[in-house]
Amino acid sequence: MYTGLCLSDPHPDRAGDGSKLRTLSAARFAGRYRLVDFMLSNMVNSKIFTIGMVLNSHYQSLIGHIGMGKEWDLARKSGGVTFFPPYLADERQSVNSELDGPLQRAAQFIMEAKDEYIVLADSSVVYNMDYRTAIEAHRKNEADITAIYTKRAISPGERENAVILDIADDGRIYGINRAPYTNEKLNVSLGAYVMRKGFFIQLTANEKNCGMLRFSRILLADALERMNVMGFEFCGYTAHISSVETFFQYNMEMLDAEKRNALFDVEGRHIFTNRRDTLPTKYGKDADIRNSIIADGCQIDGTVIDSIICRNVRIKPGAIVKNCILQDDTVVERGAMLDYIIADRSVSVSEHRSMIGSNTYPVYIERARVI
Amino acid sequence: MPTERKECIAMLLAGGRGSRLKSLTEQIAKPAVTFGGKYRIIDFPLTNCVRSGIDTVGVMTQYQPLLLHDYIGKGQHWDLDTLNGGVSILPPHSKPGSTAWYSGTANAVYQNQDFIMSYDPEYLLVLAGDHVYKMDYSAMLDYHKSVGADCTIAVIEVPLKDAGRFGIMNTDSDDRITTFEEKPAEPKGNLASMGIYIFNWKSLSEYLYEDEKDPESSHDFGKDIIPSMLRDGMRMFAYRFDGYWKDVGTEESLWLANMDLLDDMHLGLEGWGILSKTAGRPPHFIAPTGRISNTLITEGCEIYGTVQNSILSVDVIVEEGAIVKDSIIMENTRICKGAVVNYTILDENSVVCEGSVVGSEYGSGGKLSVYARGSIIGNEPNE
Repeated sequence: MYTGLCLSDPHPDRAGDGSKLRTLSAARFAGRYRLVDFMLSNMVNSKIFTIGMVLNSHYQSLIGHIGMGKEWDLARKSGGVTFFPPYLADERQSVNSELDGPLQRAAQFIMEAKDEYIVLADSSVVYNMDYRTAIEAHRKNEADITAIYTKRAISPGERENAVILDIADDGRIYGINRAPYTNEKLNVSLGAYVMRKGFFIQLTANEKNCGMLRFSRILLADALERMNVMGFEFCGYTAHISSVETFFQYNMEMLDAEKRNALFDVEGRHIFTNRRDTLPTKYGKDADIRNSIIADGCQIDGTVIDSIICRNVRIKPGAIVKNCILQDDTVVERGAMLDYIIADRSVSVSEHRSMIGSNTYPVYIERARVI
Repeated sequence: MPTERKECIAMLLAGGRGSRLKSLTEQIAKPAVTFGGKYRIIDFPLTNCVRSGIDTVGVMTQYQPLLLHDYIGKGQHWDLDTLNGGVSILPPHSKPGSTAWYSGTANAVYQNQDFIMSYDPEYLLVLAGDHVYKMDYSAMLDYHKSVGADCTIAVIEVPLKDAGRFGIMNTDSDDRITTFEEKPAEPKGNLASMGIYIFNWKSLSEYLYEDEKDPESSHDFGKDIIPSMLRDGMRMFAYRFDGYWKDVGTEESLWLANMDLLDDMHLGLEGWGILSKTAGRPPHFIAPTGRISNTLITEGCEIYGTVQNSILSVDVIVEEGAIVKDSIIMENTRICKGAVVNYTILDENSVVCEGSVVGSEYGSGGKLSVYARGSIIGNEPNE
């Protein structure tokens, strides 16, 4: 049996519009999922039922989404999901003083875990994997740490946050780097690691403020000479969302049936999410829809092309939505036109207004804004 | 067993086959029939109970209960997995001196009186599990109390010409029921019973006991219990309901009620969302070649062809060049390339093979076509 620990980075996107994306693990994917659903489903599908979840700022929607973990079969008497939100380590601290770091908060949880091994995973990476394949390799290789990676080229938007592994022919990792400027395929870390919990505690003993990125780039890099760190290649579909650009790019990839099926139609590995009883989507007589993913609860009377539409969105007659990601409860009134727009929840676009972004710079509209 | 007394609990009759639905209920009970793309008929009475503040529901099952039991689960989909009350599945069971099967609707309730008495309720709400409607039972219970009734029966006005298909209540000016006629040849009124009863449990239990001893009785509420209470001059009232209510007992009426959703998704009552067991599949995908008009589509569907005036359930695939019109397509069904489906109900896990034509155009005089679950229609291309 294994214990899971989910870690993400406190400020995944410091620049530009990205700071407006709420906690990334709560961001939408493929119209109805949140990023964290994939990591949680992977854990559960790998029979990992004790999961610690380290939370950073703006975590309310994430806790609201996961709740007791019932939808992932994690509402159980032993195990289940445990949250580690930021807290004051000392009552004399003021709210503004430095808080205990993410790992510090989870240390006790890991220390007390009954299982010998842990699987550490980043909740902003989207993939559908049975971790038991990596665990098996980890044991066979007698590795100290096994890092799960995928071979692919990375896009410019991913460069800042990508962790690239140098892997020898025998699978051993001998270097950890930032992404070079190249279009070639690289060994991209999925931010998922298998290790004995003793190693994990040892590695992070002096690290209060360690997020996922620091764990990979600093702590693990330092350990390469001392420890047997092995790579395990995952060959399925992966998406690493770290900015508005990658949020847009990877969501749009879901319009590709092959990629969509590789993520969602895997025998025995269902992706679980919080289910709400929304009505089916109603298409009006003059609706015109092409190449789009549309969630339940929508009422669509206008035109939708190459877009992803989340739950309970209304698109009125004569409205045109192209190359957009419209999140829950957004309303696009008659005659409005949107192109390359990401709308957060409950955005309202008034009659005959138009907004245009571009494929390299999709425009992000904040929650509940009226245009 | 219960730790809390309940003022009113519901008993839901879900054991019937609904034989007029023919092939659609060969393998499943009628309350388990799919409706509106992502519901099953039993979602309606269960949701009504929860939204009316009735948190204890006994579901009496008998005919083909496997899917129904699985679907109801512990009641979690309706927030009925509670510490006190919640949903209880009540299949027929044997006990000393009694045979197992439910011989009629009244007998089913009679056989479960231990369950009912464990909650010591004042009132008993008896529901048929086979109608599509949104109704606040608490308003009916308030009415039942305010008129001091022994029994209240929900009624809906139907056109006089159709009244012969229903149980008709004739009332005085205070809506007190004077006579009751089951499917009258010459109806005197047009208040049709909706199959929803509230009884004072104490007096009902006495009638059930007496009815059980009568060898001539068919042990049915409509045929035996109600007439017998009327004969004794009990205070029986009609509760008039003017919302949406559809009997979906036949293939045609099931099709019509589904199509009503295209006119009004909320069935006349917004904010009374129907709770159900949701599949949890990815959102649906409309391909560049997809053409959709006046249609309901839900999660897991992939549309490469044309769909008009139709209702598609979870995981339906309409391939390129296929045309679906005026039809209800149930879960996990595939319409292959170039196939045409007109005015049809296609049950779960079916396949319409490449180029096949199913049904006749709606309005052309042809009848509604219905295919049972697991149907393979036409020839598979490789054979």
